[in-house]
Amino acid sequence: MAEGTAPLALDIRDLVRSFGVRKALDGVSFELPKGAFLSIFGPNGAGKTTLVKVLTTLIAPSKGTARVAGCDVVADAVELRTKIGLISHNPLLYPDLSAEENLEFFAEMYGLEHPKERIDELLTAVELDHRRLDLTRTFSRGMLQRLSIARALLPHPEVLFLDEPYSGLDPHAMDILDSLIAQVRSEHTFVMISHDLAKGLELCSHALILARGRIVMFEPKSELDPGVFSATYRTTVGTGVA
Amino acid sequence: MVRKNIATIMLAIGGVLTTAAFLMAFLWAPMTDFGFVNIGGAEIPKPDIAQKIFYFHVPVAEASFLVFFFVAMYGAIFLWKKDRVYDTKARIAAEVTFMFIILTMISGDLWTKASWDSWWIWEPRLTTYFIMTLLVVAYFVLRNSIEDEERRATYAAVFGIIAFLDAPLSFSITRWYRSIHPVVIGGSSGSWLYGPRLVTFIVAQIGMLMLGYAIYQLRMREEIAKERIEAVKAELEG
Amino acid sequence: MAAVKSLSGRQFRAILRKDIVMELRTFEMLTSMGLYTLLTMVVYFVAFASASDAAKTIQSVAGGLLWVAFVFTSMLGLNRSLVHEKDQGCIEALLLAPVDRPVIFFAKAAGNLIFLLIVEAISVPVFYFLFMQGVGFAGPFWMLPLSLVAASIGVAGVGTLLATMSVNTKGKDVLLAVMFIPVMYPLLLGAVSAASAAITGGPGATSEFWGAMGFIAGFDVIMLLAAYGLYEFIIGA
Repeated sequence: MAEGTAPLALDIRDLVRSFGVRKALDGVSFELPKGAFLSIFGPNGAGKTTLVKVLTTLIAPSKGTARVAGCDVVADAVELRTKIGLISHNPLLYPDLSAEENLEFFAEMYGLEHPKERIDELLTAVELDHRRLDLTRTFSRGMLQRLSIARALLPHPEVLFLDEPYSGLDPHAMDILDSLIAQVRSEHTFVMISHDLAKGLELCSHALILARGRIVMFEPKSELDPGVFSATYRTTVGTGVA
Repeated sequence: MVRKNIATIMLAIGGVLTTAAFLMAFLWAPMTDFGFVNIGGAEIPKPDIAQKIFYFHVPVAEASFLVFFFVAMYGAIFLWKKDRVYDTKARIAAEVTFMFIILTMISGDLWTKASWDSWWIWEPRLTTYFIMTLLVVAYFVLRNSIEDEERRATYAAVFGIIAFLDAPLSFSITRWYRSIHPVVIGGSSGSWLYGPRLVTFIVAQIGMLMLGYAIYQLRMREEIAKERIEAVKAELEG
Repeated sequence: MAAVKSLSGRQFRAILRKDIVMELRTFEMLTSMGLYTLLTMVVYFVAFASASDAAKTIQSVAGGLLWVAFVFTSMLGLNRSLVHEKDQGCIEALLLAPVDRPVIFFAKAAGNLIFLLIVEAISVPVFYFLFMQGVGFAGPFWMLPLSLVAASIGVAGVGTLLATMSVNTKGKDVLLAVMFIPVMYPLLLGAVSAASAAITGGPGATSEFWGAMGFIAGFDVIMLLAAYGLYEFIIGA
């Protein structure tokens, strides 16, 4: 049962994700208000990607509950999928289709009411309108990432997940990505996994450090002590201990 | 502890029963006839000693099919409950199935050679068991080609179900096909499975099933012990 | 309810259209499948080169020869069709969308069926042209195509399920063959019986044909139901 426009974008209680002896997530609990920007940090294998996968309904949790945009990730999974978008380091686009065809395809998947207008709007926003008929296999990494954002934004999602979106981008592409995020910042809640401490801290309103499937630190930026944070970051992430 | 005892007892009883059936097959169950022999101008029914293999071959064949069912069933339960223990059960059942199926194929092949003097005939039961052998092998090849535990368990469960559904389909179509395109197959006709022969057969069948169960339980104990060690290791490292 | 139904319909058509458009653009699958079948026929020629009455011999095994070619070609096609989704991780984007997993199954299976049917539609006349002139097909002209379509449905359905698994493993196409052929055996026997009855004719051919068609239909129904029910477990894994 969805709670309409709930005040919390994320409401996670004792989330566990395990199989056999391996525990990818071991009792994660936190809340994120609507409109926030959460940066998730942590060493490899900490469970960051698993957490995002659970929140985007790609994986089911073993125990505990998670509500995203008011929808339970298990019970309301289908409804939830219309409210979220994911931008990953893979572009998730079909290389043999044109930019426009890619967006048309996903528009059909989301059952959009007025696909043409929305696609035009987004192609203009990501500045790819002039390349709309070109196959995406001809796109540069930066262009793919931009189109990927357009794809994620198609259904007007409430929460946008970004899984290391800056990786592999040259500075120019990074700037464009920055400005795009800034453009839509106010309309969405963001959850970003990042290995770039500076970038992550700059953009976020809340910061989370994950290690070995557990929360090491979770603070709104306003209450964050940069010294403590860097120290904790260095000890958990820096040593690379999962 | 009790489990282990039951398993050992089953092993003992199963062994006794199978041996008893073996003795009964040769000493007690009356001989059947197969084909004819020309002696001094008269056609005399030829005693079929190769038929004795029946008392081993059919029980082990039926046991392998039954255990195969458990592979599919545990797979289905795993898909429902997502508890890793069911995947282990399915895998051990598959091992037992494999063992029994190999015995089925060997005994069936020996029987064919002894009865019809050829090492292989594409007759319904043999063909179906051959397909089943390939299916069980495929099950293990599939498992070995996946490293991620959860995916391996899921895929194996799905394939196990598909494979199990395939077995009766294979049998019925091969039987239909053979009825249209018969291969020269002789063999005793009519129902000769009564009296002492029936008893021998039942003893053999039960004995075989007990052996199967015992082997399965013993292997499961081994696996559970392994998993406990793994869990303790993970705790110590974690 | 009506809204849900039409969304599934839209999604099904979109996935199918995407696969067809991508194939038409590159012709990757159709060319490799078609070439593969043609090359198999060259091997047939060599295999039967020393037969005294090649045309007659070939006619008696024509059903089997056709299906040998189709089995291996379809495995090639199935592999490629599923690899497309895996490349670029597109399957994740699909799974993120509010799409029922069975819809994905049916759409991909339908696409694979269409490609297989196209290859078959080209191969049969080529086969006839190469080997069967002078002998001809015995049965009425609709018999063979009907059996091909019915059996191909089973091939596409089960094949899509198995290929979705094999593409995500280390074994890849070898694993697909290892799983595919034993599972397909009953369907193949039925398909070859029906095809042979249609091609060689003779007494009892009609009843053999319809008997085989019965089995093909039974296999299709049982296996497609199973695949439909099981697909969502493997697509997420």
